[in-house]
Amino acid sequence: MIIIRSFAPEEGIGFTFEHYISIFTKRLYQQAVLNSVLIAIVSSLVGIIVAFLGAKAANEASSKWKDFFVNILNMTSNFAGIPLAFAFIILLGNVGVLVMFGKSMGISALANFDIYSAKGLLLTYIYFQIPLATLLLMPTFNGLRKEWKEAVMLLGGNNFVYWTKIAIPTIMPSMLATLSVLFSNAIAAYATAYALLSNNYSLLPIRISEQFVGDVVQRKEFGSALAVVLMLTMVIATSINNYFIKKSIGGGSR
Amino acid sequence: MKKSASSKIIIVLICLYLVLPLILTFLYSIFTEWNEVLPKGLTLRYYKDILLDGNFLISVIHTIIVSIVPFIICTTVVLLALYVIVVYHPEWDKYTQMLCNIPYAIQGVILAISILSLYVNAPQPFSNRFVMVVLTYCIVILPYIYRGLKNSLDTINANRLIEAAQMLGANKFYAFFAVVVPNILSGITIVAMLSISMVFGDFVIVNIIGGSYFQTTQMYLYKKLFQSGQASSVVIVVMFGIALFMSAIMNSLKNKGRQNRKETN
Repeated sequence: MIIIRSFAPEEGIGFTFEHYISIFTKRLYQQAVLNSVLIAIVSSLVGIIVAFLGAKAANEASSKWKDFFVNILNMTSNFAGIPLAFAFIILLGNVGVLVMFGKSMGISALANFDIYSAKGLLLTYIYFQIPLATLLLMPTFNGLRKEWKEAVMLLGGNNFVYWTKIAIPTIMPSMLATLSVLFSNAIAAYATAYALLSNNYSLLPIRISEQFVGDVVQRKEFGSALAVVLMLTMVIATSINNYFIKKSIGGGSR
Repeated sequence: MKKSASSKIIIVLICLYLVLPLILTFLYSIFTEWNEVLPKGLTLRYYKDILLDGNFLISVIHTIIVSIVPFIICTTVVLLALYVIVVYHPEWDKYTQMLCNIPYAIQGVILAISILSLYVNAPQPFSNRFVMVVLTYCIVILPYIYRGLKNSLDTINANRLIEAAQMLGANKFYAFFAVVVPNILSGITIVAMLSISMVFGDFVIVNIIGGSYFQTTQMYLYKKLFQSGQASSVVIVVMFGIALFMSAIMNSLKNKGRQNRKETN
């Protein structure tokens, strides 16, 4: 339905590529696509790195620490959308607590931090990526067997060799799978950005919903075309990912 | 030893990043002023204001309705489907699974606008916004409900239970709903909590479809955001409390289930 409509002209019936052409030629929408993709990629990458460190740490720590960590992750994974945006406004908004702290301590990096910007948005996205990514990655680390490490040591390898040659290739497929979950999670996220920046920052999901419930004019056909673009980015990201997953599994077995 | 220390530091750092906004929101809700480094004026006034606000209570009731009704509809449908699959046509399972995974791919904004543009001019019961939101949530929670119910059915070995009940003279339908379903009750509860907390946290769908027609707590919160910081942090704390409460129930049920299984083994 959405796909069909995206090819329809705004009035009457027919077939047209007009909406797609305008998406990729008008600066406003180019910017939306670009911003969305960039924020999704950066937040997923940071999220996965932190999650990697976190899951690795949890795997090495005692079970008491691990339980504690899992509880915190579970708890904070509920904390997303508008409440999250609000909490960050309290923290780093114009009169946010950390901003005040920075001002009185003379830390200009904190005092001048602008939460209502791409940087701030990125921070909130990373926030909701971390619990999800860590919870998804943790089971993978359980699959790493202690014997493998001992074997590497016995054969004269060191820690570095173990991680680069054995551990990372083993967990690579699930890292990549997690990455694609994170990417689609971020690119479709709407509530946080909406609450934090309203319409002041161009992101795909926000532009899409504008076309349907907009304050100005509703352009359903154009919105449909935008939605198709959003779906396409997800499909492209997933297939690139699948390609790498296949490759890393294939490479690992040899 | 050095290693476990460094992993502890990493855990603490990540936890700190994750917990800090939560704690601050809570602190913010119980003080009257926070314009300098330290807050001033401890008070519970904002809690009283919010909890006595009629609009808030109405929005809570709305939220509860739109989260429970989809769960009931969806669970009934999935259970009936699983009944047919388990008892008569096990080979249909892969198609059901495929169908139930589709909502994973169509998320948030896209789902909401597709439904809105498809049904906005539909005949009455479907173009009613309330019905629309409820039915949309059914789609959103479908994959989770299917997964949860299927997993719990797999663990109890439903076929054998039904055979046993039949030997004692029950028909298949009765056996499924009187013997099998009570046995997966804890699984159903977990699914219920999961789906309800998902709907509780949703803003996208209700904002786009429900829009100005009716309010849930998320919408209420969004409106409060531009009025009073304290009031909205109170709403957040209340909502988060509910979410925590539900996940605590979920966890205790899960642990119970695990213990039961250990005892029977």
